[in-house]
Amino acid sequence: MIAALRKELLLQWRTRAQFMAVFVFGASALLLFSFAVGPNAEILRQFSAGFMWLGLLLSSTLTLAESFHAEMENRALEGLLLLPVNPRTIYYGKAIANWLQLVLLGFALVPVMVILYDAGTTKLPQLALVIMLGTAGLSAPGTLYAAMTSQVRSRQTLLPLLLFPLIVPALLASVKLTSLIILGDPMGQLSAWMKLLTAFDAIYWSLCGLLFDRVVEE
Amino acid sequence: MTGNVTGGWNFVVAAYAVTAAVFVLYGVSLITRLRDARSRAAEER
Amino acid sequence: MSTTKSLFVRRYVPGLVLLAIGAYFGFVVALAEFNNINLGFGLATGLQAAIAAIAAVAGTISFLIVDDVETSAKGPNILLVAGIICFLIGSYIGLFVAPPEQHMGEVQRIMYVHVPTAWNALLAMTVAFASAVVFLFKSDWKWDAVMEGSIEVGVVFAFLLCAQGSIWAKPTWNVWWDWDPRLTTTAVLLFAFLGILALRRFVEDPVKRGIWSSVATIIAYVDVPIVYFSVKWWNSLHQTQSSPGTVSKQFYLPLRANAIGILFLMTAFIMLRARISALRLKQELAPPPLVEAQLGEVV
Repeated sequence: MIAALRKELLLQWRTRAQFMAVFVFGASALLLFSFAVGPNAEILRQFSAGFMWLGLLLSSTLTLAESFHAEMENRALEGLLLLPVNPRTIYYGKAIANWLQLVLLGFALVPVMVILYDAGTTKLPQLALVIMLGTAGLSAPGTLYAAMTSQVRSRQTLLPLLLFPLIVPALLASVKLTSLIILGDPMGQLSAWMKLLTAFDAIYWSLCGLLFDRVVEE
Repeated sequence: MTGNVTGGWNFVVAAYAVTAAVFVLYGVSLITRLRDARSRAAEER
Repeated sequence: MSTTKSLFVRRYVPGLVLLAIGAYFGFVVALAEFNNINLGFGLATGLQAAIAAIAAVAGTISFLIVDDVETSAKGPNILLVAGIICFLIGSYIGLFVAPPEQHMGEVQRIMYVHVPTAWNALLAMTVAFASAVVFLFKSDWKWDAVMEGSIEVGVVFAFLLCAQGSIWAKPTWNVWWDWDPRLTTTAVLLFAFLGILALRRFVEDPVKRGIWSSVATIIAYVDVPIVYFSVKWWNSLHQTQSSPGTVSKQFYLPLRANAIGILFLMTAFIMLRARISALRLKQELAPPPLVEAQLGEVV
């Protein structure tokens, strides 16, 4: 499995220009949100968590679709499956690689959020944890759906169409947690939302792995 | 509850009408589509 | 001929028996109570209601299970007519016979269609989930057809639910949407299952289509309770109003009549839609006519 992961990370390193493009997309999305809402600093700060996660979500569709692009271009998926490797290993390798990319993207968007929305915070470790848990929730089902839609026409519309309703709990939890970190948590809701997000991640990282070999079988 | 709600027959009628309309339209579309599919399958034979 | 008739009887008798049990505990006992005749075997009313509901649902779903989607539409058509009759009876009672409620006035009558539609929408999604699981294990094409049918019916019912909820919300809270957790979860479910229908439309290989949409259905259905709880918590600080509540005891008769009617309609819709899907599958899985012409009977 480490080998699968290494291969994915190597591939991503080679295409790191892609990451820059996705980051610029995400950052410009954040900019557009502020234009949509208006230059009211109070409102922007209140909704900063929502904007950041929406930007991250939209960017994730690009990242996730890319992750199977190489396989599609070179019909390498069939080759991969011929190897004596459990398809589940391939799934987890890709899902972890996607997750790491999204975590990096999330970390990169934080300064953008801080600057544009005046949404700074000193609780950086908690923020990092939320970003890691939230992106994990995007990556698990996203990688599964990316595997499906990469082989289909209209793949660019199908992936978000399938993914967005599914990850609503992860989105709600991530936005709520980020918001509590930035704006304060007078009623101590942090742990409840953390539990929800962790449960979501646990359920989907196991369920999607379980179902992946049915998805790629010939 | 926030108190008494007076009137509102219009909404009741609207709700029942929408429900009946959806059932009828969907049912009719199903029967029509099934008939089309059957005749197409018979033609292919 | 006698063997096919006995087969017919064997397949439908369990369902009819269950429906009879459901009708007894759901209606006969209640109506007898109005005349102070006790027919309930001394069981608590809650338990009676549960038995009635489980028996009615199990009976109707059993028709779906024994249904052969390749045959004629006589079965679903009978169910359709029965459903329409029950729905008309229930709606009549709900609209004209039942008295207006204390706080909500006439608007309460919307609950007599809204609550049964909600139960049946969730039931349709559950049928989709069960069909998906069965299809993944048995690879029987009937269950792919039933799954496609129940997903589409579920989408129609979810849409209807959102429309009814909006129409209820406007006179009650003066907004068209009030982020009630149940209704919001329905909206998310609507989009999720629409996505699955879109997925089915764009995948041409029937095997891949069946497997992928089964996987997607399982993933989406597992999400339903999670979405519900997350929206509930998300909304809990703002939700000062109560959601469309349950109906009080005196008003259950139209509710149950509509529930049975809509249950019959839902099952009939799924059976009809499954037949459409089965016909398409037969076309796709059959050898192409040119090959047959060239190779003749060998194929």
